This record gives sequence, C-alpha cells and structure tokens, in this order.
Amino acid sequence: MVEAPHTVKSYEEELKNLNNNIIKMGGFCEEALGKAIQAITTRNSDNAEAVIKDDEKIDKFETLIEQQVVNLIALRQPMAIDLRETVTALKISSDLERIGDLAKNISKRTLLLNENLPKNLTEALVRVSSNVQKQLKSILDSYLDRSSAMAVNVWESDEHIDDLTNLCMQEVIKYLKEDEKNLDDGTHLLFVTKNIERIGDHTTNVAEQVYYLVTGEYLEGDRPKGTEPIVSGEK
Amino acid sequence: MIKINSKNVDVFYGKKQALFNINLDIEENQVTALIGPSGCGKSTFLRCLNRMNDVIDICKVQGQIIINNFDINDKSCDVVRLREKIGMVFQKPNPFPKTIYENVSYGPTIHGMAQSKSEMDEIVETSLKKAALWEEIKDRLHEPGTGLSGGQQQRLCIARAISVKPEVILMDEPCSALDPIATAQIEELIDELKKDHTIIIVTHSMAQAARVSQNTGFFHLGELIEHGSTDKIFKNPENKRTQDYITGRFG
Repeated sequence: MVEAPHTVKSYEEELKNLNNNIIKMGGFCEEALGKAIQAITTRNSDNAEAVIKDDEKIDKFETLIEQQVVNLIALRQPMAIDLRETVTALKISSDLERIGDLAKNISKRTLLLNENLPKNLTEALVRVSSNVQKQLKSILDSYLDRSSAMAVNVWESDEHIDDLTNLCMQEVIKYLKEDEKNLDDGTHLLFVTKNIERIGDHTTNVAEQVYYLVTGEYLEGDRPKGTEPIVSGEK
Repeated sequence: MIKINSKNVDVFYGKKQALFNINLDIEENQVTALIGPSGCGKSTFLRCLNRMNDVIDICKVQGQIIINNFDINDKSCDVVRLREKIGMVFQKPNPFPKTIYENVSYGPTIHGMAQSKSEMDEIVETSLKKAALWEEIKDRLHEPGTGLSGGQQQRLCIARAISVKPEVILMDEPCSALDPIATAQIEELIDELKKDHTIIIVTHSMAQAARVSQNTGFFHLGELIEHGSTDKIFKNPENKRTQDYITGRFG
C-alpha cells in the first residue's frame, strides 16, 4: 500500500532515507554473499578478498541506520506504520550486518582452502547457497514492495534450506572420513556450510520483520524446521 | 465494564449536523482519549456526556447516552444531579474568583455533602490531596485561587471537580495551556484518578493520548472513525484515516 506523504516534508525525507539505506545495505549483502560463494566454487581469491574488505561498508550502514532510528524516535516520535518502519529498520539492519559478517567468514576460510575441492562438495554447497541467495533476494524485494505474502513465502522456505544444509554436511563428513589429509579443508567446509545456513536464518528473521512492518501482526507459530541438524557423523 | 454507552448519537447546531451516529462505549475506571482534527466533533461529543450542550440554544442532541442504566437525554434527568456525577475540567483553568478553600467547598456546599465545618474541611483536604495540590497550598487555603500558577489552577479545578465525588470526569484539553512539568503532574494525576473515576479526555496531543489513555477514539468530520485500545490505535490502526491522522499525513 502506498502511503500519502507526510505534511512535514523533512520527516517524509528522513523516513525515505532510512528505507533507502536498508535497501542499499541489503544490496551490499547480496553482493557479498554472491561473491563469497563464487570465490569458493571457482577458488577466486580476488573475490574472497573483496568480500573481506567490503564488510566494512556494511558495518557502516548498520551504524548509520541505528543513528537514524534513534534520531527519528527522539525527534519525530513516529506512530503506527512509521513506528513499524523505524523499529523494523533497526532490527533488519542488525540481521543484514550479521549476514555481512558470515559472508566475510566464508571468504576468510575460502582463502585457506585447497584449490581442487571434489566436485560433489562444491555442488552440494552451491545447492544450499543458491537457495539462500534466492531467499535473500526475495526478502529484499518483499521489503521494497511491502509484500507480506512474499515474506511468508521466504519464511516457509527456510525448511528446505535446513534440509539442503544437512545433505551438504553429510557430504563434507564423508569427505572428512575419506582421508586424514582432508581434515583442514573439511573443517573449514563444515563452518562454511553452517555459515550459509545461518545466513538463511537471518533472512528468515528479516522475513518476520517485513511481515510485521506490513501487517502490524507477528508471524504466528514455530518457524518451519527441516530435518534435525547433524551433531556428529553417522555411526 | 462499560460505564457509558452511547447509541446512535446525532448532534445538530441549527441545520448543521456536527455528529453522525456515534456509538461509543466508555469503559469504567479507564482513561479514554478522544482525538481528531479541530472541528471533528470530539468536544461536542464530550459535552453530550453531561448535557453541556443544553446551554447552546440551537444545539439539538438525538440518540441515547446511557450511564448506570439511565438515558441522560431522558426528560426526567435532573441535570444538576447529572453534573454532580459527571464532572468537567476545561482547557483554560477557570477557578472561581474566590479563595482556594471556597473553590473546592462550593460543590459540596450546594449538594449538601457536609454536615459540619470539620466535615467540609476534610472534603477540601482530601480533594486537594487527590489533586496533588495540598502540599503546595495547605498554608494559604484562604488566599484567592486565581493567584496560583497555571498548573496549580488546573489542579485546583480538578480538586473542585472531584470534591463532589463524580463517577466520571470529562477533561477538555486540560493541559493545552500548561508547561511540560505541569502537564506531567496532571498526567500523573489522571493515572491516579482513574482508580476511582472514569476519565474521558479530549486532547490535540497525540503523544498525550498515547501516554495517558487505555482506549482511544478517533473522530473526523463528525464521525467516530475508529475506537479501540490505545496501543492498537497507535501501533496498528485499522482505518487508513486514523493512520493518516496519527502519522501526520493529513492533507
């Protein structure tokens, strides 16, 4: 729903600006995740290094958004939809910041990985990550379009990501068992997989925020969960 | 519990209709805030609740306003008794040009509520204490009420209103002429008073409505657009017009 503009134009501008910063920050996160995954599958160190370096930009957006939110609350006392805009911006920015950190961590590990990983491993990784990337894109679109239906869609799809994560974990564990020499790479890959799954979780958090922003209601019920995570390898 | 139940209330000033079919239930021992732009009818509605509109010749009120199972618009209603039960505090503090003591004792005197001087003293003291004014003025009870500061005068008017033990207190922008400190004192007082009284407050300050009330009604162009719990109205109103008003989007 498109809202009528505020009578006070500077207030309207401040809210618009906050909204734009979330969108920009989300764009940087999408880019970081994309590059991080590409770096791991193509073993492209330049991409990995770029993600590590650019994380600072994402962190700065979080600080900026936090300041804007505090200013809006202190000086404008937002109500109703404006209040929800303000509060959800704060929460979404902190999830996006975590997504940036996780992408950075993936990239740091990528730089330590063997250049010739078995194909089945990279394929399993791509299966999870491409789904997570899709989720992240959808949720940023749903924020932009103020679409609660899209947010619900993303929220419900987290289950699928959990399943793919577990399949990927199983592949990595198999790889670890094959040879003691695989220990370093395998351990890093376990963390990488887990990080990708965590990005999916943060995306789901954002979905909950978008839903609240649009409807003023909380998404009810437990989060959909896939198969139980693997704690130790199969016996 | 519902204290006041208004059914299909229409108000006309001459040929001009000021309120359209208002159905609003006021909960007992709660604060209900009425908000809306100037001329939306919120004060007109407030004045229906103790028949203050009677004093305006061209004003005609239709519909029912039921308090304690009794329609106050009924011919048999004793308006003096009604206003004893339903007190009012106005926008501008308007103490009588009398002493502080007399301001408070006036109502109880005309309603014959005290049998002796000591009983009256007690009513005056209790009322001033409840209005959070006693400590400040207990040594100058016989000085003129008009000599007090604006915030003190407003609290004196509240003491005067509660001296006759009304069940309902109507407040028409009681803080609009007061500074933030006096406003906070009145708001704290409203919070205290709701234990013994049902309070209806008309305010232009959205922040004040949000702070002091449990229920809020939004009026626009003589209609009650939305009524509900204050937190719902300010976090997630149902009506677009309510949202536009409280977020400052009204053109």
